[in-house]
Amino acid sequence: MEVTISIPTALRPQVDNKDTVKVTGSSVREALGALTAQYPELGKRLYAGENELNRFINVYVNDEDIRFMDNLDTALKEGDEVSIIPAIAGG
Amino acid sequence: MTTIQTTELDRYHRQMLLPGIGEEGQRKLMNAKVFVCGCGALGTVIANMLARAGVGHLVIADRDFIEMTNLQRQILFDESDVENALPKAEAARRKIAQINSQVKVTTFIDDVNHTNVEKMAADCDIILDGLDNFETRFLLNDVAVKHRIPYVYGGSVGTTGMTYAILPHSHPDDANETPWELAGAATPCLRCIFEQAPPPGMNPTCDTAGVLGPVVSIVANYQCVEAIKILTGNYSAVRPTLLSFDVWENTIRQLKVARAYDVGNCLCCKQRQFEFLEGKFASGTTTLCGRNAVQLTQKLAEGRKLDFDEIAQRLAAHGQVKANKFMLRADITDNGNAYELTLFTDGRAIVKGTKEANVAKSIYAKYVGA
Ligand SMILES: [Zn+2]
Repeated sequence: MEVTISIPTALRPQVDNKDTVKVTGSSVREALGALTAQYPELGKRLYAGENELNRFINVYVNDEDIRFMDNLDTALKEGDEVSIIPAIAGG
Repeated sequence: MTTIQTTELDRYHRQMLLPGIGEEGQRKLMNAKVFVCGCGALGTVIANMLARAGVGHLVIADRDFIEMTNLQRQILFDESDVENALPKAEAARRKIAQINSQVKVTTFIDDVNHTNVEKMAADCDIILDGLDNFETRFLLNDVAVKHRIPYVYGGSVGTTGMTYAILPHSHPDDANETPWELAGAATPCLRCIFEQAPPPGMNPTCDTAGVLGPVVSIVANYQCVEAIKILTGNYSAVRPTLLSFDVWENTIRQLKVARAYDVGNCLCCKQRQFEFLEGKFASGTTTLCGRNAVQLTQKLAEGRKLDFDEIAQRLAAHGQVKANKFMLRADITDNGNAYELTLFTDGRAIVKGTKEANVAKSIYAKYVGA
C-alpha cells in the first residue's frame, strides 16, 4: 500500500524539509518504519523505545488518532493519509 | 446576578439578532465571568473580542510586560504602552475600559502557577488560554476538570494554529451532571489528547520560529466563538473536534478526538490525578524559551512589597534604571555580561541575558538581595 505521511514543520529538518513523504506499508508501524529507515534522525525524535512512540507525538490516520484504533498496528489501505501532529505550544 | 438595564443591551443589537444568542443569550454573556489566562497574542484578541461581546467580568492574568516586538500581533497594545513599560494585564485593563465601560476587569500581574491559579479561576464560567507553554495549559486543564469549568485551548506558531474546547466530564461521585453533559456534549480533556508536552526542540515557540499576526487572531477568534456558544448555553453547537490548520499551506483538518475519553485512561479526567495543580512539576524558575531570559517566581511574604525607590538608587550606579508603580527595569553589567533585570513589586523577577537559572538567581541575589 502506498500511503502519504505528512510531516509537521518542527520535524521537517529531519526529512530534507519535505512536507509529505510517500512510503509503503500495510500498518502504521510499517509505514513509520519505512519512513524512519529512510530518515534515521526522524526516528530518534519519534520513538521513546523499540516499539513505542513518544507520548508527545500524536499520529492520525485520516484524522483519527491511532491510540484509539489499533495504535501502531492500525491497518492502512492504499491512499491513506498518515499525519504526525504535535501539540502547538505558542501563542 | 446583577440586574441589567434595557439600555445597557442596546449596543449589542447586532449580536442579539443571532438566533443562537438573542436577548436571553446576551444577558447570559453579561452575567458571565471569564478567565483569560495569558494576555499576549491570543489573550489580547480574546479579551478584545469578549469585551466587545459584552462579557460581564473578565479576569486577566499575565506575568509579562510589553515589548516593541509584541505590537505586530498583540492588538490591545500600542507604542505608548511600550514607552510607559506597562505590564500587559494593566495595559489591557486600560484599553478595555475605553472599548466597553460596562465590562468589569480584574487583573493579576503575576505568573500563573499551582499556588494561585484556583484563586484566579474561582467562580469563572469558562477559561480561555492565551498561553505560550504547555505546563500552564495542563495546569488550567487540571483546574477545569477538577472544578468542572469549560476550558478552550488555543495555540499558534509560525503559520499554524490549533484550537479545542474542553467540556469536562464529571466524576462519578459528583452529585449532579453539568448542563453540557445533560446536552450530551462533554469532551475529552487536554491530557486525553496530548499526554505530554512536547520538549524544547520539538516545540517551536513564537519567539524562535516566528508567528504570522493573522493566524493568532484566527485561533483566538475561534476560541471566542466556542466561548460564546458555551456561555450562551449552546453546548451542542460546540465544535467536537481538534481543529488544526496551516494558513500558508492552506490545510485545515478536524481531528476526531471524541473516543479519547471512552477508550483512554487519562491521568487527569479519568484517574483524577491533578499532577500540575499539586505542583508536582513546579520549580521556582522558568526559562522563557526563545527570549534568552529566566523568570524567578519566588515571592515576598504576603503584603510585603519591594521598595523600588531604594533599589533604583542602588542600581543607578550599574546602568539605566526605569520604574513605575508596577515594575522596575535596570540594565546591569556584571563581569562584562549585559543583563536586563525586571522586578515586580511582589518580588518576582525576569532576568534577560541568560538562559541559566543559576546565573539569573545570582544576579537577583547580588543586585536585589536574597
Ligand atoms: Zn482527560
